[in-house]
Amino acid sequence: MSGTPRRRLLATALAAVLLAPLAACGDDGGEAPAVDSTKPVELSIFWWGGDARAKLTEEALALYTKKHPNVTFKKTWQANQGYFDKLATLTAGNDAPDIFQIDDNFLTEYASRNVTLDLTSYQKSNKLDTSKFPESLWKYGVVDGKLAGVAFGENTQGLVFNKTKLAAANQPLPTTGMTWEAFIDWAATATTATKVPGTQDPSADYKAFWIWLRQQSKDLYKDKELGFTAQDVTAWFDLWKGARDRKATPTADVIREGNATDITKQLVVTGKALTSWVWVNQLPELQKNTKDELGVVAYPGDPKAQWARAALYFSVYRGSDKKDVAVDVINFLANDPEVGKVLGTDRGLPPNMDIRASVQSSVTDAAMKTSIEVENTLGKTFGPSPQVPLKGHSTLRSELIKAAESVQAGKATPAQAAEAFVTAAKSAISK
Amino acid sequence: MALTTAPAPLHRAAKGPRVEPRGPRREGLAGYLFLTPWLIGLATITAIPMLMSLVLSFTDYDILSDWSELNWVGFDNYQRMFTEDPTFWHAVQVTVLFAVIATPLKLAAALGVALLLNKAVRGVGLYRSLFYLPSLLGGSVALAIVWVSMFSRDGSFNAFLALFGISGPGWVNDPDYALSTLILLAIWQFGAPMVIFLAGLKQVPVELYEAASVDGAGAFRKFRSITLPILSPVIFFNLVLETIHGFQGFTSAFVISGGTGGPVDSTLMYTLYLYIKGFTDYEMGYASALAWVFLLAVGLLTVVLFSTGRFWVHYGDER
Repeated sequence: MSGTPRRRLLATALAAVLLAPLAACGDDGGEAPAVDSTKPVELSIFWWGGDARAKLTEEALALYTKKHPNVTFKKTWQANQGYFDKLATLTAGNDAPDIFQIDDNFLTEYASRNVTLDLTSYQKSNKLDTSKFPESLWKYGVVDGKLAGVAFGENTQGLVFNKTKLAAANQPLPTTGMTWEAFIDWAATATTATKVPGTQDPSADYKAFWIWLRQQSKDLYKDKELGFTAQDVTAWFDLWKGARDRKATPTADVIREGNATDITKQLVVTGKALTSWVWVNQLPELQKNTKDELGVVAYPGDPKAQWARAALYFSVYRGSDKKDVAVDVINFLANDPEVGKVLGTDRGLPPNMDIRASVQSSVTDAAMKTSIEVENTLGKTFGPSPQVPLKGHSTLRSELIKAAESVQAGKATPAQAAEAFVTAAKSAISK
Repeated sequence: MALTTAPAPLHRAAKGPRVEPRGPRREGLAGYLFLTPWLIGLATITAIPMLMSLVLSFTDYDILSDWSELNWVGFDNYQRMFTEDPTFWHAVQVTVLFAVIATPLKLAAALGVALLLNKAVRGVGLYRSLFYLPSLLGGSVALAIVWVSMFSRDGSFNAFLALFGISGPGWVNDPDYALSTLILLAIWQFGAPMVIFLAGLKQVPVELYEAASVDGAGAFRKFRSITLPILSPVIFFNLVLETIHGFQGFTSAFVISGGTGGPVDSTLMYTLYLYIKGFTDYEMGYASALAWVFLLAVGLLTVVLFSTGRFWVHYGDER
């Protein structure tokens, strides 16, 4: 009954482990097919996303097969939840897909354990062309000096707000560059005027915390260490405790609802707060889930703290015996103008600037237009990218949520929670 | 297929003339041959992986790294659990709390409803199916999702409370109440033990009740002195099974907390913690050690339950 899914998963994982040595034997023998050979090649490719993304990606891959009829694809895709469990299990069985989608939560986990292929040599020989990418964007795929993933789609932090409700109550809209204090003042006033809490409390949100840290000349990570201290965390928690006391945010249980990462649970969409802390490129999806008109600005404070973040990457499995073809496919997906048109902004803004320009000019959806414009405006002031998060980043994120929620629920003081969080985070990145 | 219960062969041996089989060994061999599909399954998807996990529990295996980079760490994982990991103890606490509250209440609910359904009322078959329904859906993710929406701030439960002027919190999102919603969900799925109780109740000889009535025993007295003792093996069976289930609770905690054990670790069941360690934190060696400690603990608990059985379980063959 209740125990079975876990058991089955464990059993699968362990069976996979058991078979690993056997599978490894098979890897060495075969000759790697070259890109231009006519030998039939089947590449496996794995990504997370919804139906729309699946359709676009399949269409794009079909274009590759059209140009290289000997190359076909074994496509697997699923929702984000459970995606990384499956990828880890496949990797354990030495059976990872030739090409897989990954994000910055896990890139270092995989790269530092040599699961991903180092793409530097392909980049140097121009077999992987990143010359049209913004430099900070492709560099956000470099882990320990190795190019571990090709950035696919750019995004940056965005504060999405409910225009309709604010306008109805004659409230000013939030603006890029307002200080954190000014923003909380604004939210508190908006709460009184609209009877809806002015903002989701982002104290559990690593990306908001990260921006705030960068504005204090700190960072989430510095080399192999944390880039902040317990004092910083306490100050961050205190800031939001103040906001909660002033009713600028909803109550703790509603904040927790909004801490889920699903688009449909964001408070700005469910009408339980006037602003949510998301990514700029999520605006069109958020807009689909509410009748009210939404807008987006940068997170509070100096927008220079924001950077061109790779929304996700494509990586090549180091154990693949079709590496060259796999890299060629990624190169095609990133740089072919026709594919660019097909993929659009589904994975974020196209990384290739030429393609981005042409996609932008053909966009008709109003929310998508706004998100591209805002991202491009912010792009002019982007600061340097931080280093890719360390191993243990996803644990750090869940520990921040736990610490913030314990403060929100009144189970711990900001200082206690900060201390516990820093201890847990240190141990997460040092394992 | 061996459908007979354990005592049956004894009876047969005592009553009928023992037929000397031509080759008991041969028959045994044939039996095992027929079992092969199951045996292969047992070995490849249960026994060998289990042994592998025992081996892994002495390593720093992290799933992603190459097999060759595995390091032996001796008893470090076990030591860390007991001496350096407060979250482990927290998970133990949550799990014990859950099992200790949910199991007896679930059994009481099951027995209570079984007693009601044992009465001959019109449409009893329909009621029986209706009460069993939650258990059919029991392990399912769908039900847990329903629970989340029922017990969230604007869920139907709070809408019900609002009728009485009570404004309830978001139960599943409040660290003080989240575990209670899990317990409630577990209790509600009492269908499986209920069906077993019902079967047990049908076995109670009606003459005993008649005799008791003649002697002037009331309903409660009959329940205490006839039903309970005769039902005690069934109660025992259900108790063991449901206790183990209680400790294994995973699905509902996983779904209701979004896989995190939150809010603030209030629903961090042991198995969920184990899963997080293995598949989110990539500490599969440690997770394997957690699994083995869990197996031993639940095994030990079962042994303890069996040893108490002597004092209160009546099989009706005592002299």
